[in-house]
Amino acid sequence: MEMELRHRSVSNAPWTLALAVVGISALGIYNLVSAARPPAESVWKPQLLFLGMGLVAALVVALVDPRLIRKLTVPLFVANLIALVALRFVGTRAKGALSWFQLGPFRVQPAEFMKIALVLMLARYFHQQRPGLAKSYSLRQMLVPLAIAIVPIGLVLSQPDLGTALMLAFTSATLFAFAGLSRRTLIALGILAAFSAVVLWNDYLRPQSEPRTTVIRKLMKPHQDARIRGWLDPSSEVRSTNYHATQSKIAVGSGGAWGKGWKKGTQTGLRFLPEQHTDFIFSVFAEEQGFVLCMLLLALYSALIASSLAVALAAKDRFGVFVAVGITAMIFWQIFENIGMVTGLVPITGLPLPLMSYGGSSLISTMIGIGLLVNVAIRRGSFA
Amino acid sequence: MLILGVISLAVFAVLAGQLYRLMIVRYDHYLGLSSENQFKYVRIRAHRGLVYDSRGSLLVAARPSLDLMITPAFCVACATEVLPKLGKLLEWDPEQGAKVEQLVTSAKGTQRYQPLVAQVDLTQDQFDMVAASLYRLPGVEIDPVPHREYRSGASLAHILGYMNEISSAEFLRFNQESDERPAYAIGDYVGRRGLERAFEPELRGRDGWVREVVNARGEVVRDEDGEIIRQTEVQAVAGESLVLSIDSRLQAVAESAFTADAGAIVAMESKTGFIRAILSRPSFDPNEMTGRVSAHRLRVINEDPLHPMLFRPGAQHYHAGSTFKVVSGLAALESGLFTPESQVYCPGGYQMGNRWWRCDLESGHGSLTLRQAIKVSCDVYFYRVADVLGLDPVARVARAFGLGETTNFRLAAEVPGVIPDRSYYDGGVRGRYSKGLALNAVIGQGDINVTPLQMAVLYSAIANGGTVLVPQAVLRSETPSGEVIHEFSPEVARKVEIDERFRALLVSALKAAVNEPGGTGGAARLEEVVVAGKTGTAQVAKLGAVRLRASQMKYWLRDHAWFASFAPADDPDLTVIVLAEHSGFGGLNAAPVAAKIFRAYFEMKRADNGLPPFVHRASRESAPASTESSAPLEHDDPPPDATLSGTQDLP
Repeated sequence: MEMELRHRSVSNAPWTLALAVVGISALGIYNLVSAARPPAESVWKPQLLFLGMGLVAALVVALVDPRLIRKLTVPLFVANLIALVALRFVGTRAKGALSWFQLGPFRVQPAEFMKIALVLMLARYFHQQRPGLAKSYSLRQMLVPLAIAIVPIGLVLSQPDLGTALMLAFTSATLFAFAGLSRRTLIALGILAAFSAVVLWNDYLRPQSEPRTTVIRKLMKPHQDARIRGWLDPSSEVRSTNYHATQSKIAVGSGGAWGKGWKKGTQTGLRFLPEQHTDFIFSVFAEEQGFVLCMLLLALYSALIASSLAVALAAKDRFGVFVAVGITAMIFWQIFENIGMVTGLVPITGLPLPLMSYGGSSLISTMIGIGLLVNVAIRRGSFA
Repeated sequence: MLILGVISLAVFAVLAGQLYRLMIVRYDHYLGLSSENQFKYVRIRAHRGLVYDSRGSLLVAARPSLDLMITPAFCVACATEVLPKLGKLLEWDPEQGAKVEQLVTSAKGTQRYQPLVAQVDLTQDQFDMVAASLYRLPGVEIDPVPHREYRSGASLAHILGYMNEISSAEFLRFNQESDERPAYAIGDYVGRRGLERAFEPELRGRDGWVREVVNARGEVVRDEDGEIIRQTEVQAVAGESLVLSIDSRLQAVAESAFTADAGAIVAMESKTGFIRAILSRPSFDPNEMTGRVSAHRLRVINEDPLHPMLFRPGAQHYHAGSTFKVVSGLAALESGLFTPESQVYCPGGYQMGNRWWRCDLESGHGSLTLRQAIKVSCDVYFYRVADVLGLDPVARVARAFGLGETTNFRLAAEVPGVIPDRSYYDGGVRGRYSKGLALNAVIGQGDINVTPLQMAVLYSAIANGGTVLVPQAVLRSETPSGEVIHEFSPEVARKVEIDERFRALLVSALKAAVNEPGGTGGAARLEEVVVAGKTGTAQVAKLGAVRLRASQMKYWLRDHAWFASFAPADDPDLTVIVLAEHSGFGGLNAAPVAAKIFRAYFEMKRADNGLPPFVHRASRESAPASTESSAPLEHDDPPPDATLSGTQDLP
C-alpha cells in the first residue's frame, strides 16, 4: 500500500516543473561562470554546492507529511521573526543593509526564508478561516492576515531591504486577492493605494520649492530615494541615480539577437554592471546569450509558473492550494521585478532572479518552495 | 487559477516585448553605447610651437607652470571648507574668491568631472603651502602645465602677443569646425595679439586623443603584462615653430638707443619688407599678461595715459611732418610743372592770398631747387608746389605708395591713417576745400596722418625703385625638429612706376640731408655707410605765435620727432623709421637713434660676412675727442626749435 502510494505520487509529480527547474539551474550555473570572472572570485562552485543543498532540502520538504508542515508553520514563522529581530543585534552589515548572519564562511539571509514562512503562515490562516457564505473575506477578517504580513515586511524594510519587502508585500497581496475580498475590503485597499499614489506624487513629482514637504521621502535612505527618483525621471544623468539602470539596459540591448558570446560581454567584463552575479545576473545573460536564449529562459520560467499553477489547480485541500499559489506568486513576482528592473521597466530594487542569481539563501529558499510545490503535487487527493 | 495563469503569461509577454525592444529594435543604439562605454578619452596636449629670432635664439619658450586645479565632482564641501582654506593659503581677495567659487559651482554635467583651473602659475611658496595641505583639500590638485615664457620681456611684446584663457564664445566658435574631438577644452589658452593670435592655428597644432579601456569606476584596465590598454585615436600634431626676421641683437640696440618715453621704431629690409627690429614704447610684459596678472594690474595698465598696449608702429597714426616732403616733391616733378632745376625763392615765408605762411627758417633759405629744399627742409618750396598743384596730385602720389591704407602687416592691428584729397573735404563735414589745406598737407601737417609702418613702406619704395612691400616679421615656419614647413617670401603690394631720374633726385636729396653741410639729418651721418634720410617734426598742438623750445613746453604739447631713412643710399638694405613722441625736433631726437641702428646693423653684417669690424676715423687718428660726436651738430640747422609754422595761420 505504502509502496503503491509512493509509486503513484512519484508518477504524478510534475515533471514539467522539475525539468524547468533543472533547465534554469543549469543555465544559471553556466551563466555564473561567465558573470564572475577574474579578477572577481569565481562563484559557480559554491553555487553548485548550494544547488545540491537546495535539492536535498526540496526532496526532504517534498516527502514530509503535509500535516507536519502545517503544525510547524507557526513555530517556523515565529522563529523567522525572531531571526529578523536578532539581525539588528548580531547581524552582519553589507552594502549598507543589516540583512545577514555570518555563519562561518557562509552568510545567511533570514529574509529569504521569511518568504516561505510568510506564505505558509498566510496559507494556514486562509485554510482555517473560511470566508463564509459571501465567499469573500470582510475587512475585519482581513485584519489578522494583514498583521501577519505587515510585521515581517516592516522588519525587512527597516534593514533596509526594499526589494525583499516588496516581494513579501506582492506575494501577500496576491494571496489576499486569491482568497477573495469583499467589496468593502477592496474599496478600503483601493483607498490605501490611492493614498500611496498621492504620497508618491507629493514627494517626487509635484513642483514645489525645495526643501520639499514630504511624507515618506524624508524617512528613506538616500540610495533608495535616488532610485525612485531615477525611475520617475529616466532622463536624469547617466552617472548618477539612473546609472545602474542605464548600464543594465546598455548591456541587455547590446546583446542583440545572438549575444556577444559566453565570457565575451564587454559590459560584464569591464564591470559596468552593478551586482552582476546577483541582482543583475540577467543583464549578463542577455548581453552574452542574446534575445533568442532570453526567450528560451523566459519560456522555462513560464513553464515553471504554469506547472506550479497546475499544481495549485490540482491540490485538494485549501492549505495546499494557498501554499502553491503563494510560492508561485513569490517566484513570479521576483522574475517580473528582476527582469523588469534590468530592462528599465520598473525601479531598481535589490532582488535576486530565482535560480539564476548567485546566493545560497535565495537558492535554497527557492528550492524549498519548489519542494513544497512537489509536496502538494504528490499528496493531492490524499487528504480530501 | 486560470486568471492567475493568464495574468502571469501576459506579464511575461510584456517582459518579452521589452527585451525585443531593447535587443532587436534598438540593438544598434545600445551596441554603440556599450562600445563607447569601454573607453576613456584622454587628451594629449600638442606642444605649442616656439618662436625664434632670425639668429635662432629663443624668443618664446615653454616652461612648466604649476596650476591649481579643482575637480568639482570630487571637491567635497567645496564652497564651505575647501575654497575658504585655499583662499587663506593663497591670500585671495574677496573678488578672486568669489570668481573661483563661481567657476566651481557653475560647472554642470560632465564638466564637473573635469579639472578646472582655479589659479595659474603658483609661485614656489604658494605651491609649498598648498601641497602641504592637499590631503585636506579633496578635489584639488596641482598640475605642471606648459606655459609660454616670453624671453624678450616687454621688448617685442606687441609683436609676439600673449595668451590667456579661452572665452566661452570662442570655445563654441573654435570647436564648431572640429567634427569629432573638440579642438579646444575649457581652460585652454589662446593667443591674444601679435604672433600668438595671428598664428594661433599654426602654433597650436592639434591635440591628440588616446582611448584607454576603463572599467565602470573609470579605472584603466591593464592587460596580462600590466600594460595600460590604450589606443591612439588621433595623433597629436605639435605646433609649428616660427622663425622671425627680427634680430634680437638689433632689437636690443634699438631698445637702448631709443630714449623717449613713447614712440616707435621700424627697421625693415628695404628690398624685402622683412622687419629686423620693431619697437613700440611703452610696452607691457607678456609674461605678466599670460597668467598671473591681477585685475588691479590690468587696471593700472589700461589706465596708463601712455597706453602701453597700443601698437604704435601700426595702430597709431601721426602727422608725417617734413618726412612727407618726398611725396610732395615727387608729385611736383611728376606734374611736369616743376623740374629738378626749377627754383623757388624762400624769403622766410610764403604769401598766399592775404596770409603769410612762415617757413622753418625765418631768415629765409633764398633760391632753392627741390634737392636743396628737401635737404634743408624748406617749407616755402612746397607751399609753392601746393599753390600750383592743389591737393589731389599730392594725395595721388601718397596713396600710390600705400599711405592712407593699412600695410597688411599680419601680426598686429593697424589703422589706415588719413590722406585727404579734395573730395575728402568737399564731401565731408569738415567744411569745403581751400588751398590752405593743401599748403598744410604738403609739409605733412593738417589732416595728413601716417603710421611708422607706412613710412617704412614709403621710404623702402623710394629706395628700391618703387616696390611697395608688405611688412612681414616671420621668415619661416618649422617642425619641432627644424624642418622647414613654409618659407615666407617677400610680398609686393604693388609696383609704382616712378621715373628713375626723379627717384635718383629724391635719393640724392635725402643723401644730402644727412651727409652734406646744412642738411637737417646730419645726426644720422655715418662713416661706414651712406645714409639717406629725412627729418620730420610733427606738430601736435596749435600754440599761437609764441616760439618755444621743446624743453619749455609741457610734454603733451611737444612735437613728435621723426626720422625716416635708408642705407646704403644707392643700394638700399635697411630702412629705419624712428618716431619719438613729444620729443621735439626730429633731426636732434630721432636721427641719432637711426644712426645707432644702422651702425649696429652694418657692423653685424660685416661680422656675418667674416669681415673685420669697421675702423672709425676717430680710432684711426686715436683722438678720443673725435668729430664723431660733434660732426652731426656741425652740419645741423642752427635753430632746432619747435617752431609752429603753418598751422597757426590756418583759417
